[in-house]
Amino acid sequence: MTKAVSTNPCAHCGLPAPRRADDAPAFCCVGCQAVYHAIHEGGLQNFYEFRGLGARGEAPRGVERAAESFAYLDDPAFLESQSEAMPDGTRRVQLHLEGVHCAGCVWLTEKMPTVLDGVRDARLSLARARLEVSWDPERVTLSQAARWLARFGYMPHPLSAERLNGAGQAERALLKRVGVSWAISGNIMIMAVAGYGGLNMLSDPGLAGLMRGASLLLATISMAYGGGVFFRRAWASLRAPRVSGDEASARVSRWTHLSMDVPIALGLGVGWLHSAYATLTGVGDVWFDSLAVLIAALLTARWLQMRGQRFAAEATERLLSLLPSTARRINPDGRIEEILAATLKPGDRVEVRAGDVVPADGIVESGASTLHRAIVTGESRPEPIGPGERIEAGVTNLGAILAVRVEAAGDDTHVGRLMRWVEDGERRRAPVVQLADTLGGIFVLVVLAAAAITGGVWALIAPQAAIAHVVALLVISCPCALGMATPLALTVAVGRAARQGIFIKHDDVLQSLSRATHILFDKTGTLTEGRMTVAECIGDSNAAFDAAALELHSTHPIGRALVAWAHKNAPVWPPEQPAESVEEHLGAGITGQIPNPDAHREVAVGRLDWLAGRGEGEQALAYWRQVEAQFARAGGSPVFVAINGRIACALSMGDRIRPDTLALLQQLRQNGLHIGVLSGDHPELVAQCAASLDVDTALTRGGVSPEDKRDFIMTLRAHRPDAVIIMVGDGVNDAIAMQQADVGIAVFDGAQAALVAADIFVTREGLAPIGLLFDGTNHVMRTIHRNLAGSAVYNALGISAAALGFVTPLVAAVAMPFSSLFVIASSLMQRSFEPTEPGERN
Amino acid sequence: MIVIFFILPLALLLASLSVFGFLWATRKGQYDDLDTPPLRLLIDEEYVEKPDKNKNSQIN
Repeated sequence: MTKAVSTNPCAHCGLPAPRRADDAPAFCCVGCQAVYHAIHEGGLQNFYEFRGLGARGEAPRGVERAAESFAYLDDPAFLESQSEAMPDGTRRVQLHLEGVHCAGCVWLTEKMPTVLDGVRDARLSLARARLEVSWDPERVTLSQAARWLARFGYMPHPLSAERLNGAGQAERALLKRVGVSWAISGNIMIMAVAGYGGLNMLSDPGLAGLMRGASLLLATISMAYGGGVFFRRAWASLRAPRVSGDEASARVSRWTHLSMDVPIALGLGVGWLHSAYATLTGVGDVWFDSLAVLIAALLTARWLQMRGQRFAAEATERLLSLLPSTARRINPDGRIEEILAATLKPGDRVEVRAGDVVPADGIVESGASTLHRAIVTGESRPEPIGPGERIEAGVTNLGAILAVRVEAAGDDTHVGRLMRWVEDGERRRAPVVQLADTLGGIFVLVVLAAAAITGGVWALIAPQAAIAHVVALLVISCPCALGMATPLALTVAVGRAARQGIFIKHDDVLQSLSRATHILFDKTGTLTEGRMTVAECIGDSNAAFDAAALELHSTHPIGRALVAWAHKNAPVWPPEQPAESVEEHLGAGITGQIPNPDAHREVAVGRLDWLAGRGEGEQALAYWRQVEAQFARAGGSPVFVAINGRIACALSMGDRIRPDTLALLQQLRQNGLHIGVLSGDHPELVAQCAASLDVDTALTRGGVSPEDKRDFIMTLRAHRPDAVIIMVGDGVNDAIAMQQADVGIAVFDGAQAALVAADIFVTREGLAPIGLLFDGTNHVMRTIHRNLAGSAVYNALGISAAALGFVTPLVAAVAMPFSSLFVIASSLMQRSFEPTEPGERN
Repeated sequence: MIVIFFILPLALLLASLSVFGFLWATRKGQYDDLDTPPLRLLIDEEYVEKPDKNKNSQIN
């Protein structure tokens, strides 16, 4: 396909470009040329100096939609809700930029204030692809700034900042506690070294008293500032043990529901009281160093976990910002205005271009087109639509421009109602009792019992040592390693998964994943590719390539599938002779001619009935009827090609199963999962798909509504109370089922509702990441078990030694960091979510 | 050894200064983005003049 033409690097992106005769810069595509000239006109050539430095993420895509007006960014309602007014009269907004990539992008975007009068400041956060712009609304509009960015290919998308800022504030507050706690524990440890070195109240009461007094002061600050978190949460867990679902609380007693914060708070409190008493009276050992390090280590684990979750939340927000939220309203004077979809009102008229997503529920007033409804209904085949018919928000217009009269917009649309249900609905699922929490509850009981026995026994043997030994036991049995075992392992795994394009919003679902018994898939767009492709070609394939030459002029999904297929399979593509006098017959087919002096061809492509009605292909009609029936039985849409009045070839068009589906199902079956398919598509198509994938028919339903999917999961759970159900989908119609399931997974390119409802979403195309997710989960669970076992062994040894009276401050000081280091090393060395194909990543 | 009675509070004072430095930096959002500023360093030309210096309200 590629011709051997001498090439030059493209002056903008460096890809091979056709060489030019003169010394003018060469370009690989129109997009690069446009950006190159935009950069030079603005006098911003220095961009090329920095381009590629510190590159990360994907290379930017072409400039596709630079012509957008961004008028909706100037809407007062938008500015009020999404941007922030500053005291000096400027406004500030956060934008997600597509295609920012390296130092060149940082330089170029932050140049905006020098070029656009009225823009005060632009700051890019490269890793998060987020640009913060502040501007003076008197002198420049936000849409001007957005157009300026879009000219360089950085498509801006407004981010709804509220949710993220909340998380950012909490994270900063925790980071402060972490930093202060470590600073204090460092200083206390230095002073404690003097104690381990032999300084004690007998040898030098003055100096030892000073060290202890200073340690007491610092440790008290650390307890109040850093440790306060644990005391508050422990108190909350004591007062109201987590109220969980009825069945679960019946199974698990109230005591094992005490959170990990209880033993932590208990250890801290007792340790501090004892050490403070020892300091003030000058008798006994102090444990301030252990306490301070414990607080700092636990806060660090908690901070890491919070950061991991923020990362996933930001990724969700980014994906949501990419979804179109604008509508093209047709004003009474016929002018078209781009506005926010949320501001549409019933009675408005909107224009929906080919390729656009319909912004509101309504009735088609004029125009005829085809719709792709898969994301809303699961229907895989494009459906025709004409004037007077209903159209729903969220479906994609494939064919031609439609004018739609809005009947319901925003929250009142069908999709909007589902979204609201998903966002507001409490999670109606069986609660997951975290393994570590259960162990933690048991741990408290064991430690308290051991402490009581130790105290009782030592009170009989040596009353003066009893208290010291009990305190030693409580401190050395500190749940430091136990407390960090789960969060650390999970955080490391969640971070690695994100680098593989798997975003885990709530890390507690990993435990459910590892115990999954049932996995239910949506069909269209999940198991299948969700778009038309050529499945089979019977007859003369050259005729099919001629048909594709005609379809180059069409936007119909079947036409596009045919062109894509010819592009891959035709010996010569694009065709030598372009098709002429091409005519589309709506809902029937397309006709045209290929002018060739040797073999002039009249081509007609379409349904068999329509071709027969035109008097074509009468000879072998019976045979082609058979082919048509055969294709329909296999679930495809038959398309026929007639050349010069004779039918030459038949094509079966269908929604192809993804290439990695079979491998994934194989892997899941080996893991012992029951697999099912729930789809809104025609029951026949679903049954065929399930049969070809060897899926259990008892777990397969076709033609089901979103509510039916949810009910199916509820019924399944009622029959099998111990079932752990996973729902994988991509559409609005899967959202409430995902929420009902124990774990909801949204695959690549999912709809808004699916992204919000999912616990896990995948930003890489295909189903392979789901296999990786299961593998990774198994590794994480193994790591968690290893960590818990390690810290259990440590605690068993520590408690035994303390009960026997062997533990001195020195032993505790050596043992405690050792157990924590073991947990940290084990978490970092886990083998979950390792890249399987190193070449794939950059 | 008597000097320790003087040095220890001094050391703690110095430590508290750095802690306040850390708190200030965190509050100013210095730890929010650790990837972009190193790249800005590479851009050795005059940076855009901030029009107003009194923008000390929180970034966000």
